[in-house]
Amino acid sequence: LPPPAHLCLLTLLSPPLSSAAPTSPAEPISQAYSLALYMQKNTSMLLQTYLQYQGSPFSDSGFSAPELQLSSLPPATAFFKTWRALDDGERLSLAQGAFLALTQHLQLVRDDQSDLNPGSPILLAQLGTARLRAQGLLGNMAAIMTALGLPMPPEEDTLELVAFGASAFERKCRGYVVTREYGHWTDRAVRDLALLKAKYPA
Amino acid sequence: MALFVVFQTTFFLTLLSLRTYQSEVLAERLPLTPVSLKVSTNSIRQSLHLQWTVHNLPYHQELKMVFQIQISRIETSNVIWVGNYSTTVKWNQVLHWSWESELPLECATHFVRIKSVIDDASFPEPNFWSNWSSWEEVSVQDSLGQSILFVFPKDKLVEEGSNVTICYVSRNIQNNVSCYLEGKQIHGEQLDPHVTAFNLNSVPFIRNRGTNIYCEASQGNVSKGIEGIVLFVSKVLEEPKDFSCETQDFKTLHCTWDPGTDTALGWSKQPSQSYTLFESFSGEKKLCTHKNWCNWQITQDSQEMYNFTLIAENYLRKRSVNILFNLTHRVYLMNPFSVNFENVNATNAIMTWKVHSMRNNFTYLCQIELHGEGKMMQYDVSVNVNGEYFLSELEPATEYMARVRCADASHFWKWTEWSGQNFTTLEAAPSEAPDVWRSVNSEPGNHTVTLFWKPLSKLHANGKILFYNVVVENLDKPSRSELRSIPAPANSTKLILDKCSYQICVTANNSVGASPASIIVISADPENKEVEEERIAGTEGGFSLSWKPQPGDVIGYVVDWCDHPQDVLQWKNVGPNTTSTVISTDAFRPGVRYDFRIYGLSTKRIACLLEKKTGYSQELAPSDNPHVLVDMLTSHSFTLSWKDYSTESQPGFIQGYHVYLKSKARQCHPRFQKAVLSDGSECCKYTIDNPEEKALIVDNLKPESFYEFFVTPFTSAGEGPNATFTKVTTPDEHSSMLIRILLPMVFCVLLIMIVCYLKSQWIKETCYPDIPDPYKSSILSLIKFKENPHLTIMNVSDCIPDAIEVVSKPEGTKIQLLGTRKSLTETELTKPNYLYLLPTEKNHSGPGPCICFENFTYNQAASDAGSCGHVPVPPKAPPSMLGLMTSPENVLKALEKNYMNSLGEVPAGETSLNYVSQLASPMSGDKDSLPTNPVEPPHCSEYKMQMAVPLRLALPPPTENSSLSSITLLDPGEHYR
Repeated sequence: LPPPAHLCLLTLLSPPLSSAAPTSPAEPISQAYSLALYMQKNTSMLLQTYLQYQGSPFSDSGFSAPELQLSSLPPATAFFKTWRALDDGERLSLAQGAFLALTQHLQLVRDDQSDLNPGSPILLAQLGTARLRAQGLLGNMAAIMTALGLPMPPEEDTLELVAFGASAFERKCRGYVVTREYGHWTDRAVRDLALLKAKYPA
Repeated sequence: MALFVVFQTTFFLTLLSLRTYQSEVLAERLPLTPVSLKVSTNSIRQSLHLQWTVHNLPYHQELKMVFQIQISRIETSNVIWVGNYSTTVKWNQVLHWSWESELPLECATHFVRIKSVIDDASFPEPNFWSNWSSWEEVSVQDSLGQSILFVFPKDKLVEEGSNVTICYVSRNIQNNVSCYLEGKQIHGEQLDPHVTAFNLNSVPFIRNRGTNIYCEASQGNVSKGIEGIVLFVSKVLEEPKDFSCETQDFKTLHCTWDPGTDTALGWSKQPSQSYTLFESFSGEKKLCTHKNWCNWQITQDSQEMYNFTLIAENYLRKRSVNILFNLTHRVYLMNPFSVNFENVNATNAIMTWKVHSMRNNFTYLCQIELHGEGKMMQYDVSVNVNGEYFLSELEPATEYMARVRCADASHFWKWTEWSGQNFTTLEAAPSEAPDVWRSVNSEPGNHTVTLFWKPLSKLHANGKILFYNVVVENLDKPSRSELRSIPAPANSTKLILDKCSYQICVTANNSVGASPASIIVISADPENKEVEEERIAGTEGGFSLSWKPQPGDVIGYVVDWCDHPQDVLQWKNVGPNTTSTVISTDAFRPGVRYDFRIYGLSTKRIACLLEKKTGYSQELAPSDNPHVLVDMLTSHSFTLSWKDYSTESQPGFIQGYHVYLKSKARQCHPRFQKAVLSDGSECCKYTIDNPEEKALIVDNLKPESFYEFFVTPFTSAGEGPNATFTKVTTPDEHSSMLIRILLPMVFCVLLIMIVCYLKSQWIKETCYPDIPDPYKSSILSLIKFKENPHLTIMNVSDCIPDAIEVVSKPEGTKIQLLGTRKSLTETELTKPNYLYLLPTEKNHSGPGPCICFENFTYNQAASDAGSCGHVPVPPKAPPSMLGLMTSPENVLKALEKNYMNSLGEVPAGETSLNYVSQLASPMSGDKDSLPTNPVEPPHCSEYKMQMAVPLRLALPPPTENSSLSSITLLDPGEHYR
């Protein structure tokens, strides 16, 4: 983890942990927004690094397989009208659910890759960093929900029994979907938080 | 058609009933049909697993049976495999058998059936096959799931070079499916509308992370899905190479091998191959933790023979190698230690070492290597525990490296590593006399001898040379010999010896002692033998010299020369029977002149100069051109000269000169030849073959013409450098003539002018003396002093000339007259007022109206008062004009002398005329009263005119002749001074 990321995470993680009853949601929203923006810069790099290590067709230039999805991972795409109409609670709980699933999936993908590509510390480090940032964002969202007085959704184990029988190729595909969806959900989180930021100005 | 169908049906039914009948009969006779056939699948191994039982087996009886198995694919009639399986069958036994399918089982339905026959000796009767069991169908496709596309086999592990069949199942036949192996499309065989199989022959190893094979389902250009597999291709496991075991201590056997390629694959699909050591005599086994070595503990002292099998194994293959050996034959000793040297002296040393003891009475073979002076010696020696070897014939003062290695002497298996140590032998006295030579410089009264010697080679020095001893011994006079020690790096010394014969001994000394002496004798006679220098031609390899043998006994010859540019004396010794040698060193440089002197060494060791040679290893063209002067330029010729050019200090022997001449004329001069210059221009060339001829007259030239010349020396290597031509223009003919005439003329005129200038006074006196102006006479002042207002100067016209009386002159008168004259002169000189005439008189206004003649017969006192005292001196006469007469005394002396001379010159006796002034006569006897009465003459009495004219002539004008003669006679210039 590069030092700036460390600092960033520490500063963003500490307020929700220390302050039990924040008075205004503006500060946690702003912090979450900053982190999401920072994450957004690195998502495409993670995807490219991941694909590069998987061989053809993944490493082929312009590879894209939008039809590949994971049932355990909620899709980030949504109809605009529906998305815009979401209230704060729905919006935040959807995002939180997604990032909760993503943290678990990123851990799974990192495990898979340490098995397949033990000699690729760069990829493994990037996957680890992405998972930490996703956890950081989860913490920030929890702080916002606390600030807004919203009920916290229960933590679920999104990965059930699906993971272990997968073949090598399926695991490569799974990793692709996870890293791709991580990017999509980060993009969506930036939009979500921008909306909240506008709604709750400092 | 209908009839045919009916017939066919009838035929099949008949056939079927017949077969049923037959089998029933057989079953009755041999009711051992396989029953309860169950088929299961193993997706990973792609295998069908069959299990069945045999009914009706006798209780507690074993029978050897053969089972035939048929496997069909897709439909029962498509039999793809038939095989037999023999086994012994017990009562109530469940039999198992597996079959591995090339095609992934997921891609096609398989059907299996089985039949049996007894193949046992206890059933001697001819046996018949049982009935086939019913077809058992195996289909995995139904359990695949909902995906639109599947690719099989998943994560298959194969060995490099094997054949693999992959297949896909596409749920929707409208989808177009393309499959790729590492990005390259592959083409397969369609098994049914949903299934296509691809046969990959001899799959290559690409990477240990596996090979991606994927298929893409699409409709038109729209991708519907992607599915793939990773094929793990393993390298083929190699047999371990160079497997061997040995012991160093009889406790542990150390076994090593070369493992070859690591067959590990990613994704935990296959770890690195494992190695297991198995010893068959003891039956023990050990899994090795390292991939290329393993230690085996020796537990039983009694076991001597070992039979090891090394087994390499991975998921796909097992390989093994075997060795059988006697333990005592595989003893790899530990390295020898404590290598030391004792009693080291100049030529030998004792080397000692120790060997780790293994067992009692063990003998070792040791090998010693001695490295020194670029050589290597090897010795073998047999030892027990302590090794010792006497190293002899060593070189003194030399560093050696000695090392030793050992092995089991009884059963050679392997040498140990080398154990070594350096040592240096002690010094010994130098073994050879230094090579000495000398150069002698003879000076009056003594010789300066410079001794040179070459450092001894390491072989002969036997140590570090510390100093050289030079002993000088006078051979002519008994005297003490003189010893000089010169510290070592020096290689020369200078001796000043008187004119006696000397013997010089030179020895080189190190810390141990002195070398044999090198002896040179310097004879009393200097080397003044004139030897002519001979020119020789060198080559790149050096100079080849040969000389005439010296008469008498010689002990050898020496050739010496100087190296340039260091100017170091070099020499070469040549044997007595040789009269030629080649001097070759790398130091010879092209264009440098080397002088060689060849000496003969007499038996008395006196060197005698025999020959001199000089030459160049390679002659070069001259480096510079002479500075040429143009002389004697006339309209038709000029002379070129370069006397200053030195022919000696050139990079080659100067053979002559080339003179290049360019002119407008197309024809060359008679002695010149046409030549083309390097720049392409034409000119005329004249070659001078004598290097000492350093001038050339170029003649037959045209007046007023422009010529260019260039002089360059040449050696055998070529001419001097190109330089610019010097331009010369010949003058025209007339101007030269004019110059010939004009120059002397101008010179003459100048000479005359200078003479005239120097003698201007004399000329003036001679040619146009000043005529005294009576008005400016001092008499006038005297008159004025007497305040005579009526004083006038008498005009000539006023004078009435008198007659001249010629009187015969008696001898006595002459003498008297001379005596008188002398006294007069003395009187004159004593008069101080006479001197005022000498200083310069300014603004002399030309000759006055009176002419004064002096007459010796006349009273001088009167003459003094006259204006004859006026001397026309050039204004501001420079002091040089006066010369010695700057002081009044000198002036007076000179006057006296000259005056006397002039008097002497006058031969009074020859004069036939005597002048008698008509005015002076009354005063002639009254000398004493002269000073007091000069102002009292009567009218016009001052003019003392003498005339030597015949009486008959009445007052003739003074002729030129008479005046001239008078001048000549009296020499007035001299007189006035």
